[in-house]
Amino acid sequence: MTSAKITLSQPLVSAAELQRRLLAGQTLLADTPDHLLEVVGVLESYGEVLDAYSINLIYQAERQFLNPFPVFRFFDGDINPAKIWRHLNHDRINFEYAEYCQKAMFWHATGGLDAYLDSSSFLESCKAIIEKKRRNDPLLSLLHPLFPGFLLELIRSAATTHALGQFWRVMSDLFLDLARAQRQGQVSNIEQVVEFIKHGLVAAAANLITYAVEIHGHKLWVLPPEAGLSFLADVAVPYVEAVFLRGMPFLGTVSFNAQAQQISPDQASFTYGALYADPLPTMGAGIPPSLLMQDMYRHLPESLHSWYLQRTRGEADVRVKICTSFQKSMFCVTEAAIRGTLPNSLQTKELSQQQANADYAGAWAGRLAKGRTDCLAAV
Amino acid sequence: MTLTLLLLIPFLGALGLSLWPRTLCEVVARRTAIVLLIIQLLLSLRVIFLFDSTDGGMQLQEGLYWLSSLGLDYRLGIDGLSLPLVLINAVLTLVAAIVSRSISQRPRLYFCLLLVISGAVNGAFLSQNLLLFFLFYELELIPLWLLISVWGGSNRAYAATKFLIFTAVSGMLILGAFLGLAFATGSVDFSLTPVTTLQLSMGGQILLLSALLIGFGIKVPLFPFHTWLPDAHTEASTPVSVLLAGVLLKLGTYGILRFGMGLFPEAWSVLAPGLAIWAAISVLYGSLAAIAQVDMKRMVAYSSVGHMGYVLLAAAAATPVSLLGSVFQMVSHGLISALLFMLVGVVYKATGTRNLDVLRGLLNPERGLPLTGSLMILGVMASAGLPGMAGFISEFLLFRGSIEKFPIATLLSMVGSALTAVYFLLLVNRAFFGRLAVTPVDPNSGPLDIRIPASTLVEQLPSLMLAGSVVFIGLWPTSLASITESATNSMAQLMSTLSIVLPIGVTP
Amino acid sequence: MPTALPLPLQTVWLIPVYGFAGMVLSLPWATGWIKRNGPRPAAYLNLLITLVAVVHGSIVIGEVLELGPQHLSFGWFQVADLDLRIGFDLSLINLAALELVTFMSFICQVFALGYLDKEWALARFYGLVGFFEGAMSGVVLSSNLFMSYFLLEMLTLSTYLLVGFWYAQPLVITAARDAFLTKRVGDVLLLMGVVCLSAWAGSMEFTDLYAWSAQHKLAPLTSNLLGLALIAGPMGKCAQFPMHLWLDEAMEGPNPASILRNSVVVTCGALVLIKLMPLLQQAPLATTVLLSVGAVSAIGGALVAIAQVDLKRACSYLTTSYLGLVFIAIALQQPAIAILMLLAHGLAKALLFMSVGSVIATTNCQDITELGGMASRMPATTLAFLVGSAGLVGFLPLGCYWCYGIIVESIKATSPLMAAVFIITNFLTALNLTRLFRSVFMGKSMPKTRRTPEVNWLMALPMVSLSVIVVLLPWIMALLDPIPGINSFSLPVAALVFSSGLIGLVSGSLLHLDSFWSRSRTQSLRVLQDLLALDFYTPDIYRSTIVAFVAGLARLANWFDQAVVNGFVNGIGRLSLITAEGLRQGVSGQLQSYVLTLIVAIILLLTVVQFWYS
Repeated sequence: MTSAKITLSQPLVSAAELQRRLLAGQTLLADTPDHLLEVVGVLESYGEVLDAYSINLIYQAERQFLNPFPVFRFFDGDINPAKIWRHLNHDRINFEYAEYCQKAMFWHATGGLDAYLDSSSFLESCKAIIEKKRRNDPLLSLLHPLFPGFLLELIRSAATTHALGQFWRVMSDLFLDLARAQRQGQVSNIEQVVEFIKHGLVAAAANLITYAVEIHGHKLWVLPPEAGLSFLADVAVPYVEAVFLRGMPFLGTVSFNAQAQQISPDQASFTYGALYADPLPTMGAGIPPSLLMQDMYRHLPESLHSWYLQRTRGEADVRVKICTSFQKSMFCVTEAAIRGTLPNSLQTKELSQQQANADYAGAWAGRLAKGRTDCLAAV
Repeated sequence: MTLTLLLLIPFLGALGLSLWPRTLCEVVARRTAIVLLIIQLLLSLRVIFLFDSTDGGMQLQEGLYWLSSLGLDYRLGIDGLSLPLVLINAVLTLVAAIVSRSISQRPRLYFCLLLVISGAVNGAFLSQNLLLFFLFYELELIPLWLLISVWGGSNRAYAATKFLIFTAVSGMLILGAFLGLAFATGSVDFSLTPVTTLQLSMGGQILLLSALLIGFGIKVPLFPFHTWLPDAHTEASTPVSVLLAGVLLKLGTYGILRFGMGLFPEAWSVLAPGLAIWAAISVLYGSLAAIAQVDMKRMVAYSSVGHMGYVLLAAAAATPVSLLGSVFQMVSHGLISALLFMLVGVVYKATGTRNLDVLRGLLNPERGLPLTGSLMILGVMASAGLPGMAGFISEFLLFRGSIEKFPIATLLSMVGSALTAVYFLLLVNRAFFGRLAVTPVDPNSGPLDIRIPASTLVEQLPSLMLAGSVVFIGLWPTSLASITESATNSMAQLMSTLSIVLPIGVTP
Repeated sequence: MPTALPLPLQTVWLIPVYGFAGMVLSLPWATGWIKRNGPRPAAYLNLLITLVAVVHGSIVIGEVLELGPQHLSFGWFQVADLDLRIGFDLSLINLAALELVTFMSFICQVFALGYLDKEWALARFYGLVGFFEGAMSGVVLSSNLFMSYFLLEMLTLSTYLLVGFWYAQPLVITAARDAFLTKRVGDVLLLMGVVCLSAWAGSMEFTDLYAWSAQHKLAPLTSNLLGLALIAGPMGKCAQFPMHLWLDEAMEGPNPASILRNSVVVTCGALVLIKLMPLLQQAPLATTVLLSVGAVSAIGGALVAIAQVDLKRACSYLTTSYLGLVFIAIALQQPAIAILMLLAHGLAKALLFMSVGSVIATTNCQDITELGGMASRMPATTLAFLVGSAGLVGFLPLGCYWCYGIIVESIKATSPLMAAVFIITNFLTALNLTRLFRSVFMGKSMPKTRRTPEVNWLMALPMVSLSVIVVLLPWIMALLDPIPGINSFSLPVAALVFSSGLIGLVSGSLLHLDSFWSRSRTQSLRVLQDLLALDFYTPDIYRSTIVAFVAGLARLANWFDQAVVNGFVNGIGRLSLITAEGLRQGVSGQLQSYVLTLIVAIILLLTVVQFWYS
């Protein structure tokens, strides 16, 4: 078997160093003007892409709910010849990537939202929804008794879709605000970027995640407010776990062959997420994040685009460069999330609180150290 | 005059370039050479229209008496055997000039030599006189030697010397055979007339033919005279390799067909079974040696040893189909090996190495060389004889024409065709599949960032054109056969009437 | 050719061209020339053009039903005594196979739109599928051996490229290499046969070849060798023992390509074998080899399949196994039944692979020890697996049940041993499929199958449609109306087929699944387990025999080249007056002087000659 060695331009950063930076309140990403341009620029384009993703996921969960043939699910209800032509010509956002993230989140099944999907109150509401839905649908009334888990699972999936849509709504606004703040001079270094994102996350932390569908004119709750699902703990954290850290193996780089045992049987030990992925094969075969890179490429702010044009192959490998910048920005977002969820303030003088912080940061640092920390240093 | 023009344009061009009073920068020299070579190509294409494809003999003959006392007359002519080779020469010299970029030292001399080679090769293919042929055959040697020894790689002196010695021996043997022929038959005619037992005993014929075969066998090259080729290729720059593999090796096979077979048809049919075995050995040896190579260029070079061996097999069989196959093989090997050398050159230029233990994943779409990789896949598949490309129809004609006469040798050669797939697949899979990496040979040299400069579409245009013509011939072989068939038919006719019929092989 | 042929018939050559055109149309996206927009238009164009091929094919079927079988022939390359032609044999059977190819290609492409929805190299995939489809359409329609060979080799190439689709994945590299080389060995052997036949018989039309082989008696050795060469190609294509090595690894390729490979590509290989069969009349050895290869592949393949933990591989070894049965049927001169078997298998196996694909897409997992309990949540996938399995096993009255019935009926008297192979294979297949169904769909949910919603409609719809077709297949088979009808077998045979399926089903249901995953403590059982799980150590055997042999020869040749040939030359060089060192000094000096020297040398030589003569 041939195995190519990963060749790195910069050394990896040790877990101890990452932990030290986290506890010292330093940014993981080296604070340079280039990094600021990259992070803010890429997050701005990401914000615009997330805006489209979010709108579409919420549309899918609400309007395409249990639709067996969602042919026009990417049209957000606006079907006209010009738009159909653009979709046929693939001149559009790759919503498939949003679905991919939803699938990752749903499949990894961690956190509060997932736990709620197995609760008895959720099963109750599903029962009501299925009752209503079956009434006018002979296919479903036939299938449901034969395959009792079928509709249930689809409703669970739709609930995750909607929750992810709500999460991305917040993130999209936050990233676009960040770009605005940077243009207005309120944000001028990486530290302020991280703090900006942290404040945004903390401000939205307690937002309730709710989801209701309308069937034959009746509004039915899937995720009722009483479930008390919150933005940060129940959706953001599982999202980071599923998409930033664990991810799903790429067909283009990992063999699914059971006898080769390249994929761990334990999903918790997966390291295929955004912080671990190798940017080099971007746009190659079997690399799903290529879709996101393409979407961001189409929404790149001019300043960042011209910055890319001056580097390496210019336009030719721009999407690999976007991926590297994206990874940098995701380290910032992760750091903001870690800061926002630290058990105690970093300024605490109490030893046990300091210890708790150190443990928390250490746990994160241990996981991050296996990621592509070579992107963190200043070039 | 058309044929003479084919000589005059490159020679006068070279003269003009070298005598131009002011200093010429590289760009001007290159552009001048390209323009001249385009004119030469257009002229060669014009020959197709002047050419009567139904006539199997020499056409467009022209000439004047020169040193008649010597038997050296200036006589040119063209037939279906030489026309495709003249075309290949025109195309590949042009391609070589196009891909000659950043010639830092002595650009003027470089392009002069390129033109001289092209002219000399044209001369050799068009000569109707043995001594004239020899003159051109030797004339092409010097510029090539210089091209390797001045613009070559680090070990160029060794390779160039080896090339020079081998080719000089080749020349001596050929000249010896020609002179010996004149001496033995007592005529200083030096024209292309077959020798019969009435003029020369079979023993004498076989002796002279053997000298010719070894002489041209060095040029082809055939095992065991091939050892100069891999060295010459590894040290030569890309355009020179293109010329060497695409055009110059064809002089050897052309010589075998034109002079070996054409002058000594009787002796030929006596030696034919041995030649077939020799061809099969050469094919297998070249292919097996290619498998063991880790330098991409050496691998392609050894593949030439294997693939040129097919031509000898077909010549030995000397049936209409096999002879046509041999011309097809010369053309398709010319195009395919030129393509492969150019692609290897692109990889070498971009990564600084050709080592298959080091290169990985060059198909990477953003940072690798995806177009080069795709063309490389096409090239190696063509070389391995996959249908739809020139290699397949050539091999099919060769095998189909030879199997009845020499079944064992043909079957062994077909094994060589299977081995081609082995080594070229190794090349593609190692260098182009996998994650992009150029791992340093020395593991202690530290982390290496993968920064491969992109190759533009314009740079790849010559490769694209060659790939296109490989597919074109593969899908529409009639295009080539229509100009060659009459000539190969009449050659086969000559063989079957003059040869002693030796019933060998399984026939139903 | 009669001039009155209707246009769709005259233009039948377009049908393979459609597929190739699809490839060409994909190029702008596949090569990245179109950078801002995504690759999907290539997929839509290929779908459209494949649909055109399906429609054109069905119109041609209509015409042929009316006018009777047709033969179309176009000149391609004619030199000396060689006449290579493009020929189309428009018989109903060939056209049915064509419709199977184009229809399966279409349905697979729809499936791929769902399965590969997040694949950026989509255009390349569709281009390759177009190429694949074009080559296959040509193979099934081909009326001459040369064209069949030409296109089979193109199939080999496209298999290589499709298996190598995810070229950056380490295992894909070896998989693509082995797929190509194994098939290439078969192809080169076939080429040897083709070349011999072309030289001896002249025309390459199958009908002319049949006539030739009936008239000419070859020496027994020659005809046997020829026969073996001819069957080597189909053996490689159909992954028969011992040329099945590539099959296991080829499962690294994308699932939609696996669907095509396991259903229609093998069908193409077998159809070529059927066309070659009349040429093997004088080659008893080839027939014997076919029979034994078929029998070994059938039972060996089924046993190896049972020992696999990889879902895709467990199903793909079944293909080897089933094609082994087809080989037996062909060797026993039952081409009509063989074609029915291919039809039944092609559709059912495609369905099975679609189901497998949707399991993989949902769970990111092919390891059946990590799967389980998906049945209640995935109706389309579960049904597809059930219907596909039922279609492959002689138990329920679906496709294979009738095939097994008639074949066992017709061979039981003449070759009872081979009839037994059918029954045993049926038993083993039933057992294996039951085992797979239980471990993937039944039982408790595993961590990786805890959240498994049904796949998207682009995958579900082809599965459901194909399920319906597989259920209706016996009716279609009856329509094709083979003599003497698909139900022409006796009650005992029916009972035998049914009960072998039933026993397989029951033993598959009673198996303690855990015992399959863990290696047994009993020495002998463990050896057997490993033997089967590792495919009779075929990769190792190849590595230590053929690969080692070729690699050894290559090293030997290289050593010989360096040490002997080169060493000899260098030795001479050292002795000679003009040493390399001496010349190296000169090269850096005056170049012009060297040119001069050499020209002077030549002139001197000529003067000497002139002097000598005058």
